[in-house]
Amino acid sequence: MAISPTQRLIADSASVLQGAEAKVYKSSLGGVPVLIKHRFNKKYRHPILDGNLTKARVAGEARALIRCLRAGVSVPAIRMVDATEGVLGIEWIEGTSVRRLIPGAEPEDDEGHTSTEEEAMADYGVTIDEAMKLIGTELAKMHLADIIHGDLTTSNMMLRHPGRTGLPPRVYIIDFGLSYTSTLVEDKAVDLYVLERAFASTHPESESMFGSVLKSYEERMGKEWSAVKRRLEDVRMRGRKRSMVG
Amino acid sequence: MDSFTFDHLDAIAYYALYAPINNAASIRQRIVAAATADGPEGDREREEMNFAFIDASLITSLLHLQTGIHQAILTDSQGALRTKTVHSEILWSLNPTNNITEAIRRYGISDSTKSLLVVHIAPKSQSAEDLKAKLQRIVDGTLVPASTLAGITDWAKVKKYYKLNNDPALTATKTDEEEQHAVIDNIVTSSVAMKSVTG
Ligand SMILES: Nc1ncnc2c1ncn2[C@@H]1O[C@H](COP(=O)(O)OP(=O)(O)OP(=O)(O)O)[C@@H](O)[C@H]1O
Repeated sequence: MAISPTQRLIADSASVLQGAEAKVYKSSLGGVPVLIKHRFNKKYRHPILDGNLTKARVAGEARALIRCLRAGVSVPAIRMVDATEGVLGIEWIEGTSVRRLIPGAEPEDDEGHTSTEEEAMADYGVTIDEAMKLIGTELAKMHLADIIHGDLTTSNMMLRHPGRTGLPPRVYIIDFGLSYTSTLVEDKAVDLYVLERAFASTHPESESMFGSVLKSYEERMGKEWSAVKRRLEDVRMRGRKRSMVG
Repeated sequence: MDSFTFDHLDAIAYYALYAPINNAASIRQRIVAAATADGPEGDREREEMNFAFIDASLITSLLHLQTGIHQAILTDSQGALRTKTVHSEILWSLNPTNNITEAIRRYGISDSTKSLLVVHIAPKSQSAEDLKAKLQRIVDGTLVPASTLAGITDWAKVKKYYKLNNDPALTATKTDEEEQHAVIDNIVTSSVAMKSVTG
């Protein structure tokens, strides 16, 4: 069987990361750089079931991105969708993950990353504290639009490089593969708690960093903040109890 | 004529921008007539009019146009066109709803169209020469560089069709027109890219 255009696109692309569910590539469409996320078939799942599941996941991620764009949340734009092939193409962000820009991060658990060069936050035109504030604002805009990310970590946030792009520094929230919409305060609080835990486990002595995220989140949330704050305290308490028992 | 080329596709997309055009009504009549004409005469006329005629005022950037074209060609290559031809599929991909008639009415040429984008999808081996000759016969208008598109966009209409007016992304940029246009272009282009999984 002849290979499809999308398969050819992937074949000519440079691999960025091999994940458990998807393979990520850098490619180009009509000369415009794009990031291609290919959700491949799972050998152990039923082929038809798997095809439908893959389609639904691609569609789900695309929908989350367009919702964010309309809500003014900083996320990559969508460049192509081929759900049949399990492919989502998004705007290529010239930059790097926030995780790598915070000094002293624990080594990456996802071995797949190909690049390891050290980069400094200063090269990105912001201090760590400023970056945290940018993150808090984006998360608040996202939650005000009832979008739950579902997997907030410092790997799922990128800083755009101002020098290389000639554009101001900007934080992008990425990887909406687990996202969903919800108006529940509980879901928003858990979203934040997941990020707090991620900070604690990957960035030693990060309390003040997460504190800065929350501070700008609070400012942006306005009157919605107090309910989330209260619930976040509950969620933390439950987390602590669980870790004492377990 | 300009073109979009994609390394992974065997097709090339030629396009040209005319502003203003003086014979929108007669072009539209020819398209309608060609669709139903019988016999070899009909075939010849369909071949002559084998373009996507797009109202340029609804296109927010060349990337917007390129994205619609790319999705239409992908769909065609999968044998999954929702409309009759890859050219009408481009119009379908540009319109936010699933209504084909509406897509053609809004994004196609109408009697009041003042600026026109014409697109022709061809095998990469085909040159633009005979297309240019055809367009000279069809369009009475001024051929302008594609870069002038930015000044042609009817932003109010785009906002209305995409129901963008109450979106936070727009209210946040209402004091900076240039920024708002970039935001609209980003949303519209992304919507076109994901059209196949909308709804
Ligand atoms: N738009 C983008 N532009 C440039 N690089 C990106 C972009 N999106 C993601 N990346 C890079 O690719 C990596 C993987 O992207 P993403 O997290 O979306 O894929 P994933 O397969 O869901 O990853 P994971 O397995 O970590 O969940 C990111 O950590 C980031 O370094």
